[in-house]
Amino acid sequence: MALFRFPSSFDPTNALVSLQRELDRVFENPLGFDFGLSGKGVYPPVNVFSNKGGYFVKMEVPGLALDQLTIEAHGRTLTIRGKRDVSAPQGGSFHRRERSRGEFSRSVQLPTDLDLARAEASYKQGMLTVHIPKREEAKPRQITIKAA
Amino acid sequence: MTTQELTAHEKQEMRTAETTRPGRTYIPDVDIYETPDSLWLWADMPGVDENSLDVRIADSVLSIEGRVALQEYSDSTPVYTEYHVGNYARRFSLSGEIASERIKARMTNGVLELELPKAEHAKPRRIAVSAA
Repeated sequence: MALFRFPSSFDPTNALVSLQRELDRVFENPLGFDFGLSGKGVYPPVNVFSNKGGYFVKMEVPGLALDQLTIEAHGRTLTIRGKRDVSAPQGGSFHRRERSRGEFSRSVQLPTDLDLARAEASYKQGMLTVHIPKREEAKPRQITIKAA
Repeated sequence: MTTQELTAHEKQEMRTAETTRPGRTYIPDVDIYETPDSLWLWADMPGVDENSLDVRIADSVLSIEGRVALQEYSDSTPVYTEYHVGNYARRFSLSGEIASERIKARMTNGVLELELPKAEHAKPRRIAVSAA
């Protein structure tokens, strides 16, 4: 399993190429765990990333107000609900209407070694990120070798 | 308002113009709305902040471009993916004349809002018909 890591001097161009390459690989070949997601085509799309400390569940939900978003944890299920309104000034007409609007709800089943009670969420630039840390006992630890 | 089933469509890659930087570019979803005074445009560009955005009009072509922030992906690896991540770009040819000095652009929570006021002489005028 490759780790997506930036070189010490951050280069956004190379970073984008390597992120896209990593995403493509997982698109074609999802890794073993079943997140219980019903699959592509349901709004909003979800990406899940992992790092040493835990998992990141990311969704692209631009243009929401914070009070239009609800995140619930129940057992090992994370549910995200929201409503997206698209408003326009009065007295005109639409030429194009491509942006999704309405209510949505998505649930993700998480592995048991994560601690949903300590999950944290942030919303910026239209991206919702929920970070779920690993349980302390599930974190990797170094094993020391005793001299004989 | 009736509730409609929300479906996510896969992002479409922009292929009409080749970019000088590597990496794929996607087409943002837009709404375009016209009032008697202005043309309004909203584009969904999640992951783009106001400093990574480029909006310009040249020769009646409106072009919008946005670069996504990538720092927060550092040191992590994808385990499940439903959407692609990339920069955004889209171009429109404008039929009417726009008063470019009065254009207003705003970026809120990943949505670009553009108000493109019509040039005075390009506004529709009602012509009074007098009875003979």
